[in-house]
Amino acid sequence: MAVDRREFLSGAALLALALGIPVAAVRLSDMADADLPTARQRVLAREVSQLVIPRTGTPGAGEVGVGDFLILALAHGLDGSREPASASSPAGEPMPLRPDGSLDHLLWLERTLDRAGGGDFLGAAPQARAAMLAKLDATAFPPGPPPADPSPWALVKGLILTGYYTSQTGAAQELRYELVPGRFDNDIPLTPGYRAWSSDWTAVEFG
Amino acid sequence: MQHQFDAIVVGSGITGGWAAKELTEAGLKVLMIERGRKIEHQVDYDTETKAPWELPFRGLGDAALYAREYAVQRKNRHFNEFTEGHFVNDKDNPYETGADTDFTWFRSYQLGGRSLTWGRQCYRWSDYDFGANKRDGHGTDWPIRYAELAPWYDKVEEFVGVSGAKEGLAQLPDGHFQPPMALNVVEQAVRERIAAQWPERCLTVGRTANLTEAKEAEGRSHCQYRSICARGCSYGAYFSTQSSTLPAATKTGLLTVVTDAQVEKVDYDPKTRRVTGVRWIETKTGARKAATARLVFLNAGAFNSVHLLLNSASEAMPNGLANGSGVLGTHIMDHANTLSVIAEFPGFSDRTSFGNRPTGIVIPRFRNLETLDGQGFTRGYSYQGGALQSGWSRGKRMAGTGAGFKDDLQQVGPWRMVLVTFAESLPRASNRLTLGKATDPRGVPQLEVHFAHGAEEHAALADAKEQAAVMMTAAGGKVLMGMDRPGPGGSAIHEMGGARMGWDPQTSVLDRFSRAHQVANLYVTDGAQMSSSACQNPSLTYMALTARACAHAVEQMRAGVI
Ligand SMILES: Cc1cc2nc3c(=O)[nH]c(=O)nc-3n(C[C@H](O)[C@H](O)[C@H](O)COP(=O)(O)OP(=O)(O)OC[C@H]3O[C@@H](n4cnc5c(N)ncnc54)[C@H](O)[C@@H]3O)c2cc1C
Ligand code: SF4
Repeated sequence: MAVDRREFLSGAALLALALGIPVAAVRLSDMADADLPTARQRVLAREVSQLVIPRTGTPGAGEVGVGDFLILALAHGLDGSREPASASSPAGEPMPLRPDGSLDHLLWLERTLDRAGGGDFLGAAPQARAAMLAKLDATAFPPGPPPADPSPWALVKGLILTGYYTSQTGAAQELRYELVPGRFDNDIPLTPGYRAWSSDWTAVEFG
Repeated sequence: MQHQFDAIVVGSGITGGWAAKELTEAGLKVLMIERGRKIEHQVDYDTETKAPWELPFRGLGDAALYAREYAVQRKNRHFNEFTEGHFVNDKDNPYETGADTDFTWFRSYQLGGRSLTWGRQCYRWSDYDFGANKRDGHGTDWPIRYAELAPWYDKVEEFVGVSGAKEGLAQLPDGHFQPPMALNVVEQAVRERIAAQWPERCLTVGRTANLTEAKEAEGRSHCQYRSICARGCSYGAYFSTQSSTLPAATKTGLLTVVTDAQVEKVDYDPKTRRVTGVRWIETKTGARKAATARLVFLNAGAFNSVHLLLNSASEAMPNGLANGSGVLGTHIMDHANTLSVIAEFPGFSDRTSFGNRPTGIVIPRFRNLETLDGQGFTRGYSYQGGALQSGWSRGKRMAGTGAGFKDDLQQVGPWRMVLVTFAESLPRASNRLTLGKATDPRGVPQLEVHFAHGAEEHAALADAKEQAAVMMTAAGGKVLMGMDRPGPGGSAIHEMGGARMGWDPQTSVLDRFSRAHQVANLYVTDGAQMSSSACQNPSLTYMALTARACAHAVEQMRAGVI
């Protein structure tokens, strides 16, 4: 069952208020009804985000609303997520497509993880969930050159990272953010514990 | 005939701003007409100070919207949620391409044009460039040489404020520079290691229109090292129409600016053999307007100026205004460009930098200088790029989840060097602009682009890839990847030509002063005038040619010729 749009939006707004981030940052504006996730998928998106970037000294990705960002990003086709996709995986399994021919990444993720979890990923113990996700990740990123036909997980993970490191928490607490450096120090020591700058736009672009 | 203005300037971008400044400062009453919206310096840079988390799509932008309305612009890496307001809406401003043409035309239709969004790299051309057509027979000989343009380069560089290092290279003449920005530790090492092995190859910091010293008289501060220039810069620290030429022109009290006005035609009077003014469509109301002037400067951006000339055909000039030669629209160019190498540089993991330097490095041309040593190509190429340390986005390529992964991404990543090649594009008659069959939403015929890179450009990029790998390896880098196929035409955003300059009215559109051979009071001083493309970023040369053409026009007016 799909989440009611109003409930969904107000949920996002509440979350935003609780975390003290501007509502605009998590507004799921302009989403077609068909793109709205089920309540379970929304929980899943949050949980998976949190597993990729958990709470350490700073809050994790699920806690700062990256699950909802992921849903919005996938609906709007960020990082090419609404390009036409193939109807079966390289291994021949059927892939869930949206009516426009793009992969329904969220449904794919839900099915893949549920299968790994013996039918209910979210019902598994926290340790087990982390292990299942780590396994999915290891398959998607094998050692050596990147696979010619990347797993949909690569795109989902990328959007989770974007969501987190462009959130105020990720960009300015976990990393450092300085809009106006005011100078260029061309050669300074890099000491252990030196935190990277999320505002180094070239670094982010050419990663 | 009583004219409303002394001069009309069509377009307010890099060259239109210069024309308005030079002509008003010479005492002329000028009308500058711009098809896009008004953007006021400082006041209208809406996203300048925004953080990613303050934007709904975190700076990446709404890909669904982009697919619908910015189908071309979205392919430009400088186009994103911060800068989308500074690029053209493709749906409202369509163009056509020929059957085998893939051409991405990156445009900014607004007050300031692409002066707001440009990469600010400023390089002089040399006689290797102005002499190129004569030397190998492609295209038509340039009717000017470096010595004639040198004082105009001095003039524009001084006003623009170009920071850079003098290197004494014949192929990339030194200019009137502000102090250079510094190389980072890897770039400095690579510079030295390349020079040790190839004395004729010079890695130097990008010469850029970002101020390292304030220009207080003009209200422009020195650069704050943010590298977010295309959002607009309230410090006025990079050169744009808004920060530089427009205030200067406005100060004279002689400038009238009209925005949201798409010029449709230039009027020509066959009796006097002069242009008399221009006609435009108010884009907000659809109303048609006109104005007259003694002098017309076309600065709409190379392809748009050619479009205007083609669309201004009349009974007296049925093939297009000033097109007695029949070459109008032909010999368009755009540098063939590609990412030639990415290399990792171990050995510097204990060094970093702070601040965002808004320029990279350049390795000027070293092929086909005194001797023709290119295999399958007779022109030049040069590299731009730089060394950087990767950031959190490297996580998109890495295995890992959980706390360890997060801690990893908190650290600065490894050093890598990136080199992008710009290879000279040969002027070919088959690469050309025509009027298409369809019209835009305002009823103006669309421009149609026919373009393909040739064997020479492919050969140059193949050599560039090989040499990039050799140099990176010699400098201690580990090559990760490199490419030798050019992007689609337009990728370099250095589209030019179509109304080339030449000695002969039978084979060229413009004379050596950027003036139409056939029409003594019509000047085209943007990229349309270029007879060859060199491999340097072209805008500084457009500016120098514009300032020179303005002086010529003013002289002609004073002498009573115009
Ligand atoms: C992302 C990017 C990076 C770049 N980097 C560099 C660089 O590093 N170095 C370099 O040299 N160049 C660079 N360029 C190219 C540079 O921007 C152009 O060469 C330069 O702006 C051309 O100046 P112009 O005055 O001819 O045209 P523009 O600056 O494009 O201005 C033309 C103006 O005319 C207006 N116009 C068009 N048609 C009409 C009409 N019919 N009626 C009324 N107005 C009209 C347009 O709206 C526009 O405002 C870059 C461009 C981009 C987009
Ligand atoms: S880098 Fe310099 S010029 Fe660019 S926006 Fe920042 S202060 Fe302005």
